[in-house]
Amino acid sequence: MKYEMVAGFETHVELATNTKIFCSCTTQFGGEPNTHCCPVCIGLPGTLPKLNKKVVEYAIKAGLATNCEIAEISKMDRKNYCYPDLPKAYQISQFDMPLCEHGYVELSNGRKIRLTRIHIEEDAGKLVHSRGNTLVDYNRGGVPLIEIVSEPDIRTIDEAREYVEKLQLIMRYIGVSDCKMQEGSMRCDVNISVRPVGSETLGTRTEIKNMNSINFIAKAMEYEFNRQVDLIESGEKVVQETLRYDDVTNTTSSMRGKEDANDYRYFRDPDLVTINVPRERVEEIKATLPELPAAKLKRYVEELGLPEADAQLLTKYRRIAEYYEEAIQGTKNPKTAANFIIGQIFRHVENEAEKEAFNINVSAENLNALIKLIDSGKIRMNLAKSTLDKMLETGKKPSELLSESDMAGLDENTLNDLCRQAVKSNPNAVNDYKNGKEKAIKSLVGFVMKNSRGKADALTAESKIKELIK
Amino acid sequence: MVSKEEIMKIAILSKLFVGEDEIDGLTEDMDKIIAFADTINNASDEGTDFDNINNLSNVLREDEVIPSYDREKILANAKDSDDGCFLVKNIMK
Repeated sequence: MKYEMVAGFETHVELATNTKIFCSCTTQFGGEPNTHCCPVCIGLPGTLPKLNKKVVEYAIKAGLATNCEIAEISKMDRKNYCYPDLPKAYQISQFDMPLCEHGYVELSNGRKIRLTRIHIEEDAGKLVHSRGNTLVDYNRGGVPLIEIVSEPDIRTIDEAREYVEKLQLIMRYIGVSDCKMQEGSMRCDVNISVRPVGSETLGTRTEIKNMNSINFIAKAMEYEFNRQVDLIESGEKVVQETLRYDDVTNTTSSMRGKEDANDYRYFRDPDLVTINVPRERVEEIKATLPELPAAKLKRYVEELGLPEADAQLLTKYRRIAEYYEEAIQGTKNPKTAANFIIGQIFRHVENEAEKEAFNINVSAENLNALIKLIDSGKIRMNLAKSTLDKMLETGKKPSELLSESDMAGLDENTLNDLCRQAVKSNPNAVNDYKNGKEKAIKSLVGFVMKNSRGKADALTAESKIKELIK
Repeated sequence: MVSKEEIMKIAILSKLFVGEDEIDGLTEDMDKIIAFADTINNASDEGTDFDNINNLSNVLREDEVIPSYDREKILANAKDSDDGCFLVKNIMK
């Protein structure tokens, strides 16, 4: 029998605010243990949480960017569980009135992964287990999170991968999170079950907790899919449980026993008042959203005429897209800048982090100036390419690297002279061409290009040489 | 009526140790608490907006950092500490 995968994601995204969700401690990553703490975030009795305005704004932004409806009235609830990473023995979260609901993320195959909800909550502290004890650091406790819950709409590992990448891209674009999975600012829980292809009912699911790498997600899902299929094929049952993925052995194992079956006894947090979101406020926030990656990609392909692969590379990081758009301002062919960026500039930004930051020696303004020199016929492509390499090395402007004569172009007479010289100095090539070897013309054009130091226009030179030989 | 099993479940969730001799007493107490809640349920709530009981909404803070507390103060009430961290019994078996 053939089986298909049914998966849904719960994605935690740390919001890029300056302060925690309910107190004014910094959210900075790292720092000595328990130095970003105050009585509120270590849960001392008698303290009063006060909601960070920016958290509400960022969550609404995230909701709008993922096609969610934004609630008019929302509230905070207490999710009770006893574990040392939560000093209050409850997490302040949202239960039945989340800020955002009913959104979706569209994949490249046209399928829409529906989002059930996006709610705001506080992160827990960090536990370190050592020498038979557990050490607790509450620096991360109270850092604002959004939890993005999807419907079980994901059917393949490729879809899972794309879904996570898309979320990451969108959140980074709208500036609500850096979504650094390796630093834990984006983490996924994956709910996964299997069913015979064609079946409409859902199988028993397991939940793989706290995945912090897209590759691990893919591997864990593959392992878990096969494990569940094997169980069913051998007549056993899948047990609903929470699993941990071990990236060393590439296996999943049970995390919690059944006796701990979730019973969070949610109730409204009486310390926090209702959140009202007036429709005008939603409109205001909507107006601040940048063009989203999907719309940008579409525009690059349809309006700028870029190949889809190029458009994808340019829209994957917001800074690169902004850089590109600045570089093509007032230029003739949007493809030129795209080629320069992808072909030459990308060699200087090798990893994800470097692309994200996109700190390169050539400002968008300088690249723009270089392209305008090509557009106006002052320099040829070959010279432009070598100049760009120099710009990447030195950070200088094109005008500082190119001499007057470089930019003077080539006058008609000089070009004619060079073509005549080419014919004179290369009798063999001329004969070859006359005898039907079409390619021989290339070496004659090459002569002109070399002796004009790249300033001649190859096509003009070729036609002039053909004239001369005839 | 609250059952003994329910009392034990709540005790486990709350990480409380409940002795065999305490269960009956706790069951009675819990029954009384629930009966009290029933009294409240019977009260008229007409015209009361429970989502906005104190007529307050949107009590929000600006996103501005205020320096955190000294670590000594944060750890002052800790039963035990080590390496600047709260020290608790190992929770991993």
